Amino acid sequence: MQNANLLYHKTVVYSIISLLALPIAATLIYSFSSRWGATILPDGFTLKWYGQLFSDIRFLEAFGRSLLVCITALLLALVLVIPLAFVVFYYYPGYDRLMNVLILLPFAVPPVVSSVGLLQFYADAPFPMLGTPWILIGTYFTIALPFIYRAIANNFMAINLKDLVDAAHLLGASTPKAFFHIILPNLKKGVLASMFLSFSFLLGEFVFANILVGTRYETLQVYLYNMRQTSGHFTSALVMTYFFFIFICTWLGSRISKSNAL
Amino acid sequence: MSYVSVEGLSKAFGQNQVFSDIGFTIEQGEFITLLGPSGCGKSTLLRSIAGLNPVDSSSLTVAGQEITHLAPQKREIGMVFQSYALFPNMSVSDNIAFGLKMKSVPAEEMARKVSRIIELVELKGKEDCYPHQLSGGQCQRVALARALVVEPRILLLDEPLSALDAKIRKNLRIQIRAIQKELNLTTIFVTHDQEEAMLMSDRIFLMHGGRIVQSGTPESIYTQPANAFVAGFMGHYNILDKDSAAELFGLNGTQSIAIRPEAIYIQEPGRAYSEHMTQPTPAIIKDHQLLGNVIRYKAMIGQQEITLDALNRSAGHLIPVGSSVGLLFDRQEFQPVSLSVSTPA
Ligand SMILES: Nc1ncnc2c1ncn2[C@@H]1O[C@H](COP(=O)(O)OP(=O)(O)OP(=O)(O)O)[C@@H](O)[C@H]1O
Ligand SMILES: [Mg+2]
Repeated sequence: MQNANLLYHKTVVYSIISLLALPIAATLIYSFSSRWGATILPDGFTLKWYGQLFSDIRFLEAFGRSLLVCITALLLALVLVIPLAFVVFYYYPGYDRLMNVLILLPFAVPPVVSSVGLLQFYADAPFPMLGTPWILIGTYFTIALPFIYRAIANNFMAINLKDLVDAAHLLGASTPKAFFHIILPNLKKGVLASMFLSFSFLLGEFVFANILVGTRYETLQVYLYNMRQTSGHFTSALVMTYFFFIFICTWLGSRISKSNAL
Repeated sequence: MSYVSVEGLSKAFGQNQVFSDIGFTIEQGEFITLLGPSGCGKSTLLRSIAGLNPVDSSSLTVAGQEITHLAPQKREIGMVFQSYALFPNMSVSDNIAFGLKMKSVPAEEMARKVSRIIELVELKGKEDCYPHQLSGGQCQRVALARALVVEPRILLLDEPLSALDAKIRKNLRIQIRAIQKELNLTTIFVTHDQEEAMLMSDRIFLMHGGRIVQSGTPESIYTQPANAFVAGFMGHYNILDKDSAAELFGLNGTQSIAIRPEAIYIQEPGRAYSEHMTQPTPAIIKDHQLLGNVIRYKAMIGQQEITLDALNRSAGHLIPVGSSVGLLFDRQEFQPVSLSVSTPA
């Protein structure tokens, strides 16, 4: 009875997983095949498409731009969130709930709508921001906030922040010293996990990237979109590379947030 | 002039007045236990002395120096937290050395002091371990060493033993007391365990309802509880209100009386009792509990429940529930107490 039940559950789970994996597997095979026309199986396998992709200077540039925009936005968010979360948790623990609401606000408006607002808002900026990476960095920064705040907040709760800082104070440390010697080193886990998770999220974001800057500062997302007319094998290779990268980041992020080692 | 003196200490969190107008003095090298039920404000009182939370009013002096408005960094007060609060990113020796580092003590002197204190708390061989690799008792000793190594003027211990199992607790109690005596440290130790308080302290401050209801040596608090709360908290005292006392023993005092469970005896045939004893009062055994070397009986005299302890001499001595017995009370042990808890110390 038990075993039959288990078998049934396993069958259901694996069927769903295979179903979901099918398009990915097909894309993967397609990206490796030299030609796959009217036959059931491809005519032959090749690395040609990947070679073409990685020698396309436009792809490498777009990739570089994406990395630059995401990493800058994340660093900006960290620099803001860590001291903020410290103040909230050490001095005003009651404000954590307020913070959770505030930080989710950017998600209350659908990206298509808020990008129009952002465009209008930044049109009046003292220096031109539209079409520059700056507007994208600013937007991504707000998107990353909730991920980073939550991870850092969980981290603070896990380390018993108040007692640690109080203990450091009694041993003669000033608040900045306590922060740098004791709090920062203990945030490694939260920082790394939230960085990887929000990174993979930002890398997949398309609406803001396309509307706010589009081809004027072509990021990976926009590049992928613009290449949709070229060979299917080539775009498959592109999609797989993209997918692989996001997968690695997500995996690292969730692994770090689960492990106790750090 | 006492070494530590606290006057008019008050603290409220919003509407919640945790304590008000607390005052006491402590001599140098004294071991004081702050005893009280959970939530009565013991931790808050310690944190106020350490300067970790702002107080509403007070005057605090240590060794003749007014420290009321001093930052915690400057008070030279050591504290061991209920949660230990060891720095997870630092090894045992780095944890212990932290306070010395903050004071820019030269490296050589620092190493010497750290290794001396590690020896004192018996942590040799664990210097390079991280807190998550230590047992609860070891963590506790690291926390103690970390607070001691900077040679504080007062050591505050906030229920340092409450998370440990009974055996380690007993050992650490003795160890803490021995170290305290060796260094002649003025210490305030918080606990809600009256046995621990009795064992360790020079004096006990019993806290309840935002004030210190009684202070004194363990003997004086145990044998002369000032009110019904103290009597109930320190032992399993029986409290008889003045009407029951009059009815049972013909006393016509104006106060209730408290009687310790070990000052009540079950009459044994053919045994002579001293003249301090009352005449046997008939009672019925309702319940018994084996506490190891002691058997705790609950007996009913009419509607009045009486708790009494008898030595557990042999299993054959256990009196079955429902038996009729005669109870003798030691008159010398009758303690008049007030039922109100607001009697000042
Ligand atoms: N930061 C705070 N904000 C608001 N109220 C607090 C705060 N800290 C403590 N209290 C309140 O003060 C009272 C006393 O708390 P405290 O922690 O001093 O008790 P305690 O005697 O140490 O208890 P325990 O034995 O459980 O540790 C409690 O009613 C608690 O709710
Ligand atoms: Mg407490």
